[in-house]
Order: sequence, then structure tokens, then C-alpha cells
Amino acid sequence: MSKWQNQLRNWVSQYFDLPADVMLDLPRVTTIGSLHAYIENCTGLLHFSDKEVRIQHRRGELLIKGKDLRIKMMLKEELLLEGELKSIDFKEVREGGV
Amino acid sequence: MKKEQLTSLQGTLVITIEGQVLEAFIQACVKKGCTFSEITYLNDRKVQTTIFLKDWKKIRELRKAYHCKINIVSKKGVPFFLQRLKNRKSLLAALLIGFMAAFLLANTLWSIKITGLDPELEAEVESKLKTYGIKPGSTTFSMKQPREVQRLLLEDIPDLLWVGVKKQGTSYHLYGVKQTTFDEEEEPRPSNIVAAKKGLVTRMFISKGRPMVEVNNVVKKGELLATGELKEDSEEFIEAEGEVYAETWYRVEVEGTRERQQNVTDGESDHSYSFVVNNFSIPVWGFWRKYEDQVRKESYDHSLELFGWKFPILLRETTTYKNEEQFQSLTDEQTTKESVDTARQSLLLQLEEDAEITEEKILHESEDHGKVKLILLVKVEENIAETKYVSQGD
Repeated sequence: MSKWQNQLRNWVSQYFDLPADVMLDLPRVTTIGSLHAYIENCTGLLHFSDKEVRIQHRRGELLIKGKDLRIKMMLKEELLLEGELKSIDFKEVREGGV
Repeated sequence: MKKEQLTSLQGTLVITIEGQVLEAFIQACVKKGCTFSEITYLNDRKVQTTIFLKDWKKIRELRKAYHCKINIVSKKGVPFFLQRLKNRKSLLAALLIGFMAAFLLANTLWSIKITGLDPELEAEVESKLKTYGIKPGSTTFSMKQPREVQRLLLEDIPDLLWVGVKKQGTSYHLYGVKQTTFDEEEEPRPSNIVAAKKGLVTRMFISKGRPMVEVNNVVKKGELLATGELKEDSEEFIEAEGEVYAETWYRVEVEGTRERQQNVTDGESDHSYSFVVNNFSIPVWGFWRKYEDQVRKESYDHSLELFGWKFPILLRETTTYKNEEQFQSLTDEQTTKESVDTARQSLLLQLEEDAEITEEKILHESEDHGKVKLILLVKVEENIAETKYVSQGD
């Protein structure tokens, strides 16, 4: 995505008060304490183990660390993670990512 | 979040996926529209997951491209259950037959109970019911409604005043009330009471009319005992009613034998069985026994019935008793006594019910070739009243 397109989107979402995840292709992560993580707008599963899960989205990657992790359900753009969550790291991949 | 409802109806598979590019494989499947649930980590290159049966084909197609190994751990849900049932046709058939049998038995009439009627009417009701197709063993599908049966019964049997018909499960309960027909009171017909037999009047009770004789009078046959003419020469008659008991006399001749033959069974018996088809019998059991001449045989036929349909084969049980003939010689006294008893019995059979033997006397006794011939005089007390209508000649 080009830079000016990004800025336009940012501006539109702020101006019209639209949810950022819809406009900006960002993942929406909902956690319930450290028990569940519900991730929407993801595009792929990069790595899966019981200690670490890497999830791809349109603008980068999500790195979720924890213990006894398992995927409760996996659909096209949704993912429900269960287990003992420890951290969620965001890794933005700039131009040339995906 | 899309929740898959009724997962058990769709059928789910628990599989393990093993491969170098697991994540990519799962991602590719998800892109094709498959749903994964319960993905759990087993080791670096192996996960366990649950998928829907409908996604199985897609997953298998993709499997080769990603060089993954898939093992099925377990199968759950209705489609697999049906599959298993198909493999066990006999079980399915047994289940079906069982259901049908239960259904059939539950819809079969097993008993008919009739209360409140005398045996004659009961038999008539039963035979009528049979013509309507209601009898034990028939199915209730084609049977008429109890209300209809009630109407038909009342129509067809005039003696029934009312009948209650109730179907209770597999039995019919009928409660009937008999119509009591009152004879219309007949016009009092002028009549007299005359003697039916010659006799000595012992007791009398004339409820209507004027008695013409007294106790201890000897009356001849046809003699007037009581008249319906209350006033003498009034020519006004009523119907005379009453009972006149008189002592009557009978002469009875009997013959008795001094010697008699008796067949005595000593209680030992043997059973033999045979099947009977159209008067043709096939021995089954016990036919090998041979008997000496003195035997008595009793047969009993067992017939098999199923739903009112009679089995064409009967089972005949033959019981053979060993017999012994005994000759008995009676004394004079015994012969006489037995002969007198026989005479009494046969006389009472010919007389009215209320007749009673008061005395008997042996008039003559003779013996001829072992036979004893007796002539008896028997005194009987019986009702000799006979109604005789008087024509008034109007």
C-alpha cells in the first residue's frame, strides 16, 4: 500500500468516525483476561506450537506467547485461541511485506 | 463468529496432521472454506484437530500438495452411525421386525369381555360380533368404532335393551342389559281346574276360584277340582288358579341282571403323540409301545391358532390306559335294590319336576336266565291341577 493511500484511509476513518479495523485492514484482537484471544481480520497462520503462535495479517504479524496454547476454532479470517496468554507482540511489516 | 450448529448431525472427524509445512497446509484448507476446531499441539510437526465431514474431501485433495500425513483418530456423528447401521443389516432388520411385531400385537384384539347378560344372549352377541369382524386375534385397524358396534348390536339383537361397548387397549368390554319383555296381561279367560290324573288329594291351594274337592278325596281323571264360577249358577266365570297335590300310583316294570361286567383301569397310562393332517396321522412319539388287548384309549387334539387362523396340523395326544375286566356277581338283595333305584330314576324323569316319590312296593319278582324281573307299585305325590277353559257360549 502506498503511503498517501494509507494517510487517506487514516484521515477518512478519523473524519467519519469509522472503526479503524474496517478501514485500515488491521487485526482486531479481543482477549478475555489471559484465557482467550479472539483474532479477526487475520490472513494466515505462520507458526503454531503450544508456546508460541504467529499470525499473519494484512499489515504485519502478531506474535502471541503463552502456555498450553491451542486453537479452539479456525475460520477464514477468524481465529479463537485458548490457553494461558502471556504476551501479544505486534510486528509491522512495511512496504514489501505482503 | 459463525457457530456451527448441530455438529453431531453433520459428522465430525478427529484427525492428526503430520508434515513439514503444517501451518501452510492448514492455511490453505481454511482458505478453501474448511473449518478447523480444537487444534492442539502434539509436537513440532504434528497437531490434532477436529474437522467436519463435509470438509474431508477438500482436505484430502490438498494433502498431497503439502506432503502431509493424515490419520483419523475417531469418527463421530449421525452419518457415521448410519454407515455402521448399514453394515449391520441383520440388526436393522431385527429392529424393524421388532417394531412391527410390537405394533401388530398392540393392535390386535386379544379378549372380549361381556358382562351382565345370560349365557344365551352372550353367545348371540359374540356370534354377531364375529360377523362384524370382532373376535380375539383380529387386528383393530379395520374394526368399526365402538359407537358403531353398539348401534349395530342394538339393531341386530332385539333382546338387548342397551349395550355399552368400550375398547380398552387390546380388549373389548361389553356391558349389556337384557330387555325384559312383559307379556301383556291376557284377558282373564274363564276356566276350571280339573284333575290330570287319578289320585288321592293330599294338599291343595286354590288361589283363584272355588275348590270343589277336599283333602283325602279320591279324584278320577278329568274330575273338577276347582271352579272359576265363584257364585253357584251365576254363569260368571273367572280364571281359576291353584295347585292340587295328590298321591298317584304307578306300575313300573324293570329288569335287572345279576351279573355285571366292569372295566377297571389300574391307573397306569402311557402317552403317545402324533400329528394329524386331514385325517391322516403321523406318529411322532410313543408309537412303539405294544399293548395287549385290554386297553382303553383316549385322544385329545391340540390345535394351534395364530391370529384367528387355524393351523392345518393338529397334535393328537393319545393316552392309553390299561384295562381290566371284572365280573361281578350280585346278591339277590343288591339286584333288587339296584333295580328299584333304576325304576325310581326313570319314573322321575317322566314326571314333572315337583313330583316326589313317597313309597314303592314290590308286587312281583321273577327270575329268568340270570335276569331279574320286577313289577313295582310306586306312590308319587305330584301336582295334578290342569286348567280347563270353559266356553261360555256367548
